[in-house]
Amino acid sequence: MSTTAALIGAEPREVESRDVSVPVFADRNAAYYGSVFERLQKGELPFWHMNLAGLLIPWVWSAWRGVWLMFWVSLALDMIGLVCLMQNFKYGPLLADAHLDPSANAILIERYTRWLSVYNNVGIATLILGRLLIGLQANRWYFRQYSKWRIDGHTAHGVVARRVLIAALILVLVAPITLYRATQQRIDERACFNQVRAIDGTQRLLSRYGVTEVSDLTSALADRRDRLVTERATLEASASLTDDQKGRLAEIRREERQLRRENDAVEDFKAVSAKDRFDCLFIDDFPTLARIDPPEDVTYRRVPDEDAIAQGRSGATKVITQVKDPVEGRTVNIFTYTAESIDIGINFLRAQYAGIFDALTNVLRQSLIRVEVAFMLTPWPVLVGLAMILAWAYCGTGTVVFVGASLTFLAVFELWQIAMQTMALVVVATAICIFVGLPVGIWMAKNRIANWITEPILDVMQTIPSLSYLVPAVAFFGISQPPAVLATVVFAIPPMVKLTALGIRQVPQSTKEAALAFGASERQLLTKVELPMAVPSIMAGLNQTIMLALSMATISAFIGAEGLGAIVTAALGDAQAGKGLLAGIAIALVAMVIDRILKGIRSSLSRI
Amino acid sequence: MSVVEVDGVWKIFGDKSAEAIAAVRGEGLGKAEVLDRFGAIIGVKDASFTVEEGEIFCLMGLSGSGKSTLVRHINRLIEPTTGTIRILGEDIGAMSSEALRALRAEKIGMVFQNMALLPHRSVRDNIGFALELRGKDAYHRAQLADHALETVSLHGYGDRLPSELSGGMQQRVGLARALAADPEILLMDEPFSALDPLIRRNLQNEFLGLSQNLRKTTVFITHDLDEAIRMGDRIGIMNDGEIVQIGTAEDIVTAPADDYVADFVAGISRLKLVSASKIMVAVESHVARHGPIDDAHDYPTARPEDDLDTLVELSTGTELPVLIRHDGGTVGIVTKDTLLHGLQGTEAT
Repeated sequence: MSTTAALIGAEPREVESRDVSVPVFADRNAAYYGSVFERLQKGELPFWHMNLAGLLIPWVWSAWRGVWLMFWVSLALDMIGLVCLMQNFKYGPLLADAHLDPSANAILIERYTRWLSVYNNVGIATLILGRLLIGLQANRWYFRQYSKWRIDGHTAHGVVARRVLIAALILVLVAPITLYRATQQRIDERACFNQVRAIDGTQRLLSRYGVTEVSDLTSALADRRDRLVTERATLEASASLTDDQKGRLAEIRREERQLRRENDAVEDFKAVSAKDRFDCLFIDDFPTLARIDPPEDVTYRRVPDEDAIAQGRSGATKVITQVKDPVEGRTVNIFTYTAESIDIGINFLRAQYAGIFDALTNVLRQSLIRVEVAFMLTPWPVLVGLAMILAWAYCGTGTVVFVGASLTFLAVFELWQIAMQTMALVVVATAICIFVGLPVGIWMAKNRIANWITEPILDVMQTIPSLSYLVPAVAFFGISQPPAVLATVVFAIPPMVKLTALGIRQVPQSTKEAALAFGASERQLLTKVELPMAVPSIMAGLNQTIMLALSMATISAFIGAEGLGAIVTAALGDAQAGKGLLAGIAIALVAMVIDRILKGIRSSLSRI
Repeated sequence: MSVVEVDGVWKIFGDKSAEAIAAVRGEGLGKAEVLDRFGAIIGVKDASFTVEEGEIFCLMGLSGSGKSTLVRHINRLIEPTTGTIRILGEDIGAMSSEALRALRAEKIGMVFQNMALLPHRSVRDNIGFALELRGKDAYHRAQLADHALETVSLHGYGDRLPSELSGGMQQRVGLARALAADPEILLMDEPFSALDPLIRRNLQNEFLGLSQNLRKTTVFITHDLDEAIRMGDRIGIMNDGEIVQIGTAEDIVTAPADDYVADFVAGISRLKLVSASKIMVAVESHVARHGPIDDAHDYPTARPEDDLDTLVELSTGTELPVLIRHDGGTVGIVTKDTLLHGLQGTEAT
């Protein structure tokens, strides 16, 4: 309400109470900055004017004076230059080795030497030019900050030692590790995993042998090996062996193999240097090396329920659970664990609620068949005539010509019937979008919590790749048309919902107030004011929805939906560019025909 | 019985409205302190007034003074924090929502500053909106709407869309919409503020004419004192949510209740506002100063309710004072000095 808004007017800010002079802003060296700012405003500052502190100690100067933009830019420029120079440490030793090695490839040596000199030149140039740039810009940035400070007193001003401390912390955090990383070769991904395994294995061995030092562990392992070797030698030396002794011999051999593996692990562990460990933890990939047991591998299946059938309930079914033995020693990362759990969940839902999914599939299939029949059995002259008449009645001559040409294209290339299949799918999907999207849109416009819940869901629906929900759609609804319709709905419904909500929210508060003042109930407000006024927006949403539904035709062909999309998909598989292009153009033409006609109807109906 | 009775209405926007009211009553807190302490905004502060049948009551105040908020209490578009509002003797705070809707549709018509017409409906359907909400059939709706159109001299525009009309015509449609259901009460929320001065004056005159014929009880909101004086039988002046003075235009101009009102009326022309009775000097004191009235002269005479304009007219062309006569006797005398002081609004010495 305007009245309440006007009550909370902006208070005038007391600028007078604040000294906005350059001495207060700059604190130290105010005379210098005062004259610089003055000349800058007069336009008398020559372009080569340079702040020496900015040139020589940009990090310190900018942090001290709170010019953070300059701090970050100078830091970035210096780091880029230094990283380039660091390549010397990375390739230098390798090249030195290669020069000594007569068998080294001369072309490669030359190539790497050239690289290195390029890196050196770029590095030095970045350092020098970067510093020059910073030196030139320093006072100009500082002046901009002064202007900002005059408007907003909270802007950094004066000289503050604490800021230098913060800058130093940032430097310590950023610079050493970045420069170190630049001197190192890329680490083998496997190496880090092996490292973790060696460390874990050695830890286990330490506790098994009850020792704390790795050297003790080595000697314990050596002792055990010596004992095993002696015992084996004795056994092998004897001429004949009892069954017991044979068994013992085999056991010794097994133990020896085990021992060798343990020995390897300890050797690996010893080979892990502190540097390797550091490299793995900090400079390579994010060190999530957690490995957990996989979820229990359960399969749910629905089978005929013999007991119930025996009791006379024919066709009764039940869900049975099969648990597979876990693979020995298999551990998985968190991603795999979650993905497998989802698989099992889907499997469970599919088996448990088979009736619901089958019924839904059936409804979809039946309605699709009806619509498809309507489209395919209506003689083509009728449909063509209808489209032409609509175009003629609501749009201009241009559209009539375009519609005629597009339909001729479909006819000439013998795509008519197939296009009608696509149309059937689009019509059913759009109908669902309207029936679901309109109420949800209204609800979203009226209810803040609904809006809060629905908005992110719609965003996900719009952005999640369609291929990634085609798989569960197939799991629940089988292949062919029904899941294609649902996938299309998921993809195409967001504009319907969003534009409905937008249209209703756009109705001016004053208009709604007037309606209420004349005695409208909530329901009358919706049906007589909000919805009629939202019609243009809703129609725009419908248009978008139809376009999106058509663009899903190709994707849904992947799960066996028929229509123009299927031709495109098939053409993709067989690498037949021409076929794919023609079918794609056909889809586009169908879309544009619908779009043009709808737009015509929309603009001739709209009174606003 | 008054048609509209507003009694002790407070509107505080915010969660701690009860505490805020107590604090304002007890400690006399101002607007800023209430916002500071309770995070609440005072919309209306203890407003009471009545509007009699057929009267035009003007609520006048600057933007943010709470006049639009107050008028929305009369049809309960805004619920008061405390206080009662009676329409035709009935407490609307106690009404069911159905009864309230019926009241809004049948008894109260409202006109808005920004017209707030429905853009997708024809002028006729806009005017018939309230009737449609009450389930009136299309035939009678159209009849009543056309009648209302005629009332606001827009005959023949029924089939146009609001966007095809000019601003002034749109506001006539707004007025016709408010009149269509023949309500007892009209609420006019700055109806002419958004129009240019010429059209505004035209519409003001027309509305005054209409009002004389239809005798609708009207609450008229404006931020323009001139308009308030032209339109209002009585005027209520609002400041910071509070009604600081209620009275006729003459009362307010000649005896402002406080400095705020005085500031407001300072620049107002008093010619048509102030009556002779307000400035005339008693016969005795005139005689004491200037000597007896000589009956030989042909004194110009006026009635006590004549305005200063008339007195100026009478005084020009003669050196004699004007006698104010009532019921055959002279009740007062206006000399040129008195008249000039009266025009200026200062006391004669």
